[in-house]
Amino acid sequence: MTDTPTTVTIEPVRGSLLSRLSVVWIVPLLALVIALGVAWKSYSDRGPLISIEFENGAGIAKRETELRYRDIAVGVVEDVKFSEGLETVIALVRLEKNVAPYVDSASSFWVVRPELSARGVTGLDTVLSGVYIEGSWDSDISDAQDHFTGLSDAPLSRHGKEGLEITLRTTPGGSITDDSSISFRGIEVGRVGTATISEQGNFATAKAIIYHPHSRLISPSTRFWDTSGFTFSVGPSGAEIDFSSVATLIGGGLTFDTFVSESGVVREGAEFDVYEDETSARNSLFNASEVEVLEMRVVFDESVSGLAVDAPVELNGLRIGKVRSVSGIVGQDATGARRVLLNAVLSIQPARLGLQQNVTPEGALTFLTDRINEGLRARLVSAGLLSAGLKIELVQVENAPPYEAEFGPGIVPVIPTTKSQISDATATVEGVVNRINNLPIEALMFSAIRLLNSSEALISDTDLRETPQDLRALLNDVRGIVASQDMQNIPVTLNATISRFETLLAQLEDGQMASKLVTALDAAAKAADGVNTSVEGVPALISQLQAVAAKAESLPLADLTTQLTALTSSADQILGTEAARKLPADLGAALNELNETLAELRKGGAVTNINATLDSTRKAADAVAVATQDLPTLVGRIQRVLTQASATIEGYNKGDVISRDAQAALRDISQAADAMTSLARMLERNPDSLIRGR
Amino acid sequence: MGLAGDTQEILSAKDIGVIACTRCTRAWPAGTTTCGRCGASIKLNNNKSLQRVWALWLAGLMCYVPANMYPMLQTRTLLQVQQDTIVGGAIELVHHDAIGIAVVILLASVVIPLGKFIAIAFLAISVTKRSSMSNHQRQLLFEIVEAIGRWSMIDIFVVAIMSSLVQLDTLAAINPGIASLFFALSVIFTMLSAQAFDTKMIWDTSHERQGTTEHD
Repeated sequence: MTDTPTTVTIEPVRGSLLSRLSVVWIVPLLALVIALGVAWKSYSDRGPLISIEFENGAGIAKRETELRYRDIAVGVVEDVKFSEGLETVIALVRLEKNVAPYVDSASSFWVVRPELSARGVTGLDTVLSGVYIEGSWDSDISDAQDHFTGLSDAPLSRHGKEGLEITLRTTPGGSITDDSSISFRGIEVGRVGTATISEQGNFATAKAIIYHPHSRLISPSTRFWDTSGFTFSVGPSGAEIDFSSVATLIGGGLTFDTFVSESGVVREGAEFDVYEDETSARNSLFNASEVEVLEMRVVFDESVSGLAVDAPVELNGLRIGKVRSVSGIVGQDATGARRVLLNAVLSIQPARLGLQQNVTPEGALTFLTDRINEGLRARLVSAGLLSAGLKIELVQVENAPPYEAEFGPGIVPVIPTTKSQISDATATVEGVVNRINNLPIEALMFSAIRLLNSSEALISDTDLRETPQDLRALLNDVRGIVASQDMQNIPVTLNATISRFETLLAQLEDGQMASKLVTALDAAAKAADGVNTSVEGVPALISQLQAVAAKAESLPLADLTTQLTALTSSADQILGTEAARKLPADLGAALNELNETLAELRKGGAVTNINATLDSTRKAADAVAVATQDLPTLVGRIQRVLTQASATIEGYNKGDVISRDAQAALRDISQAADAMTSLARMLERNPDSLIRGR
Repeated sequence: MGLAGDTQEILSAKDIGVIACTRCTRAWPAGTTTCGRCGASIKLNNNKSLQRVWALWLAGLMCYVPANMYPMLQTRTLLQVQQDTIVGGAIELVHHDAIGIAVVILLASVVIPLGKFIAIAFLAISVTKRSSMSNHQRQLLFEIVEAIGRWSMIDIFVVAIMSSLVQLDTLAAINPGIASLFFALSVIFTMLSAQAFDTKMIWDTSHERQGTTEHD
């Protein structure tokens, strides 16, 4: 305790305020400064708040939904609220400061949501992350704006898919499907946006985009047509189903082609028509637009059936439109009586009228009104000779009563009518039919049937059928005769006879008989000449026949028909007569008789007689042969006669007509032969007389 | 609390007028400015100690505010990203019927840090103002604060371990939120603040209170 120091007074050090402060105070001060700095920085980095109006706010969440530009978040939704009247949803988006200046009046916003369609899935990432707002703006800074109206659908042109924006318009028959693809050679090169119906309701329009660089395929003469759906056809090559792709089958689609190479720049927003199919698209190149039609109407006094919707309307034979509707209308006819009239509304294609300029309904109306003042009138005519349908024809009528057409909004101009031509055509057809009806076809047919019946009766007659049998029997008999031993002996006997005859002739030569024979033969030759001359007359006969034929040809058809009928009936009568029927029987009887005669001839030993005669002749000839020496001259003469006779026969053949003169000549020859026979008999009986000259 | 009965017999160095060198612990008469043995400067810095306590306490509190405002943990799975603050996470756990874990988290991350702030502030105030608490109790309170304070870092450890373990690329990932940094700072500052508190002041002031003041 000795070490205990003495008590010292403690004097607290009183330095300056600075020295009394601890250094540690820097720590919270620094923290404060940092906090303030961070706060200020975050405040100064905060971008402006913009409000975007959407029709619905599905999926938009506070502090979560991002605003994206080129798929990078550039802002976040701070708040979602309703507009006044709860009509729309307003999303308040805090933008990033560096982007904010570009978000100007030209910006557009839309909500990206997952979408499943026939073409595929879009916005798949939003399934997990939730929807986001996509913004689109250009790289130029222009007028600032903080309130925007969001689009209900994604715009056609956006980043990475820039292209040429055009307007598509439907034609009758063509159709547009919303949000469908435009393909070229099977490749999607564009899209159709949302379609809207025109105010009049007669066509639909849609914005469409052709992406770069495919937009160079579009020229002013490019034609679009519909490839959606499918066509099914059954033809000679079998059933055929045709569609371009399954995607277009479900989702619809368009395609296009430039049929005529034409260099031209298509400006942004240019209008194109969509056609029903490729054919009509191709045809459209040569027609002007068929979209705008001129409506006019015609009131007919006659209530004629047969005028249908779509019936053609023709001007000078050229189809310029069609009947759009047909209805009854109560009005006054020509006599002033109230009755139901036929009211036809026509749709006329201005392009078909061939107007050089101003191819519009107004231009067409002006043109037609001028023509009506000059006498253009409508009338009903038959569409075809045999069809019951009617069409409307516009014709120029001379001295037509003046007509004042009414015009004005809401008034469909009326084309005046003239007398229809339906009855005329019908009358003509009826006349033709009547004339055909009046032809005596039935009588002719009846006669022909009767003729055929008679012929059949004749042919099927039993007698006629038996004729061939009789003929065969006759021929058998003849064959029997020919084949008989006697007949076969004839040549031998004849030979002997001729040799005898030769000797006889030699004897005759001696006894001056040859000269007598020569004179006889001369006479025969003369007779043959006569036959010749008579045959020469035949050609004249033929020419006469020809003349008759020519006259027959020149006869009128009707007369001929009548004569033919008469002739046929005459023939029929002839054939119908009993005599004609008996003709086959008679013929058969005659043949029978002939047969009998021949049989008799065979029985009666006629051939034997001939043989005997020939034997006698031979004997006589033997005698003659003894008597005569110079026969050669006689033989030469006989040859000449035979030559003449053959010429005569040729002439006879040429004429093919049995001449009486020829018959007479033949009879003379036959008589001469008879004389020869008697001479031969005489010689046979008295061979000595020949030698003696008595 | 067996110490509670001996308070009237305790003498502080200040009471007997000595001052100790903080480096070599040689006691010198009060007023000595330089240690005769080691040469270190000797100064009474009670005032500076309190200033340090308050400054660090304030820094810790400043850090504690964003630590509760910002998300502590960012849990990213395939489908969603979840960011939870400390209290929000605890409430979420309650909703999932994990009340026990929620209680632990609330104790470690909310009750203990807040209690520490309050305790340190109370101690710092009690050395200058009259307090109903005895010196022994305050000494005990200080020791509890010092002992427990470091356990608040358990939150940070959990976040750090989770972040390093759960890194499955796109499938799932846990990343520390910005609040974890502030929470760590807050814990560090409060620990430093507690260490800056010189417990001698408890006894000095209690003596001043008990005896009549000699200096003022």
